[in-house]
This record gives sequence, structure tokens and C-alpha cells, in this order.
Amino acid sequence: MDKQEVLQANEQSLAHLRSIYGDETETVIADARYGFISGLLKDVLKKPPIERLTLSDKIDGVVVNRWLGIPLFLGIMYFAFQFVFTLSVPFMDWIDAGFGWLAGLASGISGWGGSLLADGIIGGVGSVVIFVPPIFLLFIAIAVVEDCGYMARAAFVMDRVMHKVGLHGRSFIPMILGFGCNIPGVMAARTIENPKDRLTTILINPFMSCGARLPIFVLLAGYFFSAHAGLVVFSMYIIGIIVAVIMALVFRKTLFRGVSSHFVMELPPYRLPTVKGVLTHMWERGRLFLRKAGTIIFGVVVLVWLLDYTGALEPIGRIIAPIFAPCGFGQWQAAVSLFFGFLAKEVVVGTMGTLFAAEEGILGGAIAAQLGWTPLIAFAFMVFCLLYVPCVAAIATIKSETNSWRWPIFAIFYTTAIAWIVATLIFQIGSLFVT
Amino acid sequence: MAKEITIALAGNPNSGKTTVFNNLTGARQHVGNWPGVTVEKKEGRCSYQGYNIRVVDLPGVYSLTAYSPDEVVARNFIVEEKPDVVVDIVDASNLERNLYLAVQLLEMGARLIVALNMMDEADSRKYRIDVEELSRLLGAPVVPMVANHNQGTEELLKKIIKVAEKEIPVKGLVINYGREVEEEIASLEKLISKDRELSEKYPPRWLAVKLLERDEDITKKFN
Repeated sequence: MDKQEVLQANEQSLAHLRSIYGDETETVIADARYGFISGLLKDVLKKPPIERLTLSDKIDGVVVNRWLGIPLFLGIMYFAFQFVFTLSVPFMDWIDAGFGWLAGLASGISGWGGSLLADGIIGGVGSVVIFVPPIFLLFIAIAVVEDCGYMARAAFVMDRVMHKVGLHGRSFIPMILGFGCNIPGVMAARTIENPKDRLTTILINPFMSCGARLPIFVLLAGYFFSAHAGLVVFSMYIIGIIVAVIMALVFRKTLFRGVSSHFVMELPPYRLPTVKGVLTHMWERGRLFLRKAGTIIFGVVVLVWLLDYTGALEPIGRIIAPIFAPCGFGQWQAAVSLFFGFLAKEVVVGTMGTLFAAEEGILGGAIAAQLGWTPLIAFAFMVFCLLYVPCVAAIATIKSETNSWRWPIFAIFYTTAIAWIVATLIFQIGSLFVT
Repeated sequence: MAKEITIALAGNPNSGKTTVFNNLTGARQHVGNWPGVTVEKKEGRCSYQGYNIRVVDLPGVYSLTAYSPDEVVARNFIVEEKPDVVVDIVDASNLERNLYLAVQLLEMGARLIVALNMMDEADSRKYRIDVEELSRLLGAPVVPMVANHNQGTEELLKKIIKVAEKEIPVKGLVINYGREVEEEIASLEKLISKDRELSEKYPPRWLAVKLLERDEDITKKFN
């Protein structure tokens, strides 16, 4: 049978119907379906004569208010980070004490085995595992905000901002998911119809600070900005959002021109989160972190220790280090941490832990003393870690979601370039004011 | 030897699809109180009354017009893999919008069960829903449930088995698009029916409607 014939007949039908209805046939068909549904509902559904304003509607009156919406969103985020920070400190101290005790035992063993245990495994893996409390608390905070229905409102509020940069609120959902991990964030971009919107959303997702970056922030902010640590960590997330929004604007003006499509944001009712639900979500995300600590982080830390023990690490670091000199952290230790951080961002901390043979409790001090870092340098370093290359797993996801090598490779280079520029600006301009 | 049944879960974003999936399979997939949590189809299994049920959770979509990648995933699965039963999870407090998908699924010839979820939410808004009438008008079984509290799961499973065993007929839905459109549908349907290969795979009337909707994916099949 000739399929072309069907298509030709279809074109004739469409032209004929257009002449009758003066409207596209797809609209006519959709209208008929809605007509059927509203007819059906007349028989099936009885609504109360006056629908009272539900509690959800009343809360929304405040939460998505034009003026209050964004300050409230920032306030809730700030509160979440304070919560994470304050509550995790005692737990971290306990884990720290535990690893300190283990390190004491291991230091009794002589030879390379003792060094591997004390410097490599306890120093390296220990310095990452200690961040279980803040990471899990962060996931609890995200789960509560998500489950109660606020997250959808945040997306709605950000919709206005996103529209200004040529994206819609739907792009903000992948961005918020990126706070947990960029991989689901990149995948969530599938819900976006317009390919240009979708690519833009994927490419800016790595700027959303994932849980793996939290150890770096907690470590450095905790030591260098002890009194304002929560605020500094919060600022990292905000910088991430700002850079993402700016880049979205740049992409829409250069690579992906065109109009963005419209989307009606759905606002689910508020619900009281259940303890079980929140803990399940925390565990789903947290489990991945623990697994990473046992596999990739452990593996890389042992590799770093081996390279260090055999004296091969420092020469590698010294080759890369000069690149980072303008950013303020041109030391070879910082360079190798960043280099291995490509595999998983927690490794940045793990590498430092191995190099300085210290767990978190004293690692900040060791970095300050041995590298001569100031709070300004620490801040520039944090921003660099925030913005530079997405981890290997995120790159692989961008590859599979865009179905080409072009975009992941582009993401590697453009994010790193932006990280370098921003860190350099912070350090150079900051140096004019702080000595 | 246990019988194998494949069912697909469809539904709008945030209709509680993933919760139903978890209730059925005992999985603990991420459930979020916001749209767009499921972007890929997920699979689980459960057994009930000697049946081995393969449960496929499709991405949440508002329609099956194949505009976005997740709509394509959902539609292709239903059209091409022809699951024994499609369960459309419908938010009872938001019937008007949610039923659009149910209507499209029925038009595709899916063996549909409507899971009327969030009945508690509808109750608290004082909505009165005539479940039997809804089932009669749609021509498909309707199961009221509150998936959050695991209510209605058993009833749903019973209906799934009955529909899969063809003990309950799913009549399917033919919407009248008005005389002029219907005339064009009829003539296209006739032409399409001559293509044995396509018309065995897809319902010809559905193909005709999709062509008139200028569905890119379907139009490509004729090129």
C-alpha cells in the first residue's frame, strides 16, 4: 500500500478542515477531547457550591508572592544551611575522635603498610567519611523542603527570573535537583520539550552545587571562616545559581537562540512530610555517597598515597600548579587535589587528607600552615571547586543524555574556564583590599 | 507455572504514580511531592494470586502528543510493547486535567484501568465523585485509592488480573470529533487499513486521528 497516498490524503483533509474551522485541526481535536471530559464531569463530579480557599491557597498567597517569594526562598535556603552546619558539628567531632584513635593505632605500625593505613586510608578516606553528618543532614533538609511541596513553589518563584534569561520554570526543577547530585539534575531535563531549552538546562546544571562539594566547603569554611561558616557555604550555593543564570542568558543569546516555550507550573498541595519518607529520601541519596567513599574515593586515595609515597606525585603537581597561581592557590598539593577531584569532588578533600596525613579536625590547620592559605585564598579555592569541571559520572550522564561527545567535552572546558576566571577575579580583586 | 502479566503505570506528573509503583512492588523509589521525578521508565515485579506481574512505571506526562522525550518514552512503550494492562493513575482532586491522558490512552486502545488516587484529598475538598458513572462513561474499570496510605492496592491488583484475563471488558473510547472531522477520519482510516503492516500494529482510527493532529512521530511512519 502506498503510504505516500495516505499522507497526501491527510494534507487534503487538513486543508479542508482548516477551511471549515479556521483553526488548526489539532486544536479542534483537543477541544473535542476537553469537551467530552467536561461533559462527563457534569455527570460524575459534584463540587461544593463555593470552593473555599484551601490552606494550600492561603500559604501560596504569601509564598509565591511577587515581592516576598525570592527573599523567602533565600531565607529558607539560608536556614537550611545553618541547620546542616550547626547540627553536624558534634557528630563530626565524634567521627573525628574515632579516626584520631585509629590513626594513633596505625602509627604504631612501621614501614609502608603503616603509612598506607595512617596517611592513605585513615587520612584520605577518613577525611571524607567525616562529612557523612553534614551530607546526610543536607539530604534531610532537601527531602523536607521537597516533600512538603515547597520545592515546586521555589521553581514557580524562580520562573520569573528564568523567563528573563529565556528559560522557563521547568528548567529550575533540574537545577534544584542538582543540589543533591547533578546526575538526576541533568536527567530531569528530559521533561523539557524544546531542545534548545533542554541543552541549556543540561549545560548549566553542573553549577548547581551538589552534595559532593559540601565536604570541601564545610572543611574550608569551618576553618577559615569559623564564625560565619554557614553564611560562606550558603554563598557558594548562591554563587552557583548566579553563574548558572548568567550562563543560561549567554547561551540563549549565542549558541541557542530562539524563543523558549511556555509551561504552566503545577503547584502540588502542601503536605506534612512523613518521617519515613524523609528518611527514605535521605538514605537514597546518602547511600550513593557511602558507596562512593568505599569505592572510587578509596581507590583514588590509595592511588594518591602510592604516587606520593613513591615521590611521583609532587612532579605531576608542579607541572599543573602554575596554572592556578593567578587564582592564589598555585601550590602543587592544591593542583593535584583539583586534578583528582575530576573523578569525584569529595576526592579534593581526600587527597588533601592523604597529603597532609590528617583528618578533618586538623586538616584545615594543616592547609593553612603548610600552604600558607588565607581566608581569601580559601574562598577563591572553594569557588573554583564549585564551578570547575563536573565529575566523571556527571560528564558521562551529559554524554548519554545529549547523545554526543560534543556537549560533555564542551562542558568540561567551559566550566573550567569560568571557574578559573571567577577564582582569579576573586583573588586578584580581593588582594587589593585584604592583605 | 505462574502466569506472566505486564502492566504499565501511566499518569500525570505528581499524581502519585511512583507511590503506587512502590505499593505494588515493594520498591522504595524516590517519591517527590513535585512533578517530574520519574523521567525514565522503571521496572519492578510483584506476584499476586499466582500471577507474576511485571510493573513498568512510565514517566509522568500530561498527554501523549510526543512533544518531549518523556512523552515519547511513555507512548512508545504502550503502543509498541502492548502491555496487558495500563493503569492510569489519576488525581481525583484534579479530574479535569488528569482525564485528558486517560482519554488518550483509551483512544489508543490500551486496556486501561483508571486508578482514582488521592481520594482523601478530593474528600477534604468536598468533591463527590460518582465512581460507577465515571467507569461507565469511560468504558474502563475505575478503582478509588489513597496510595499514600496504601489503600486500594489490593482492589487494584484484583482488577488488573481480571482485565488481563479479559474477565472485565475494556470497551475503549470513541470520541466524536464532529461531523466534518469524523468524515476525514473515516476516509483516512480506510486508506490506512490497506496497509496491513501498520494497521496490525496500531489501531487505524488512532493513526488517522494522530495524522490529523500532525503528530511528527506518526507522520514519520508514513514516509
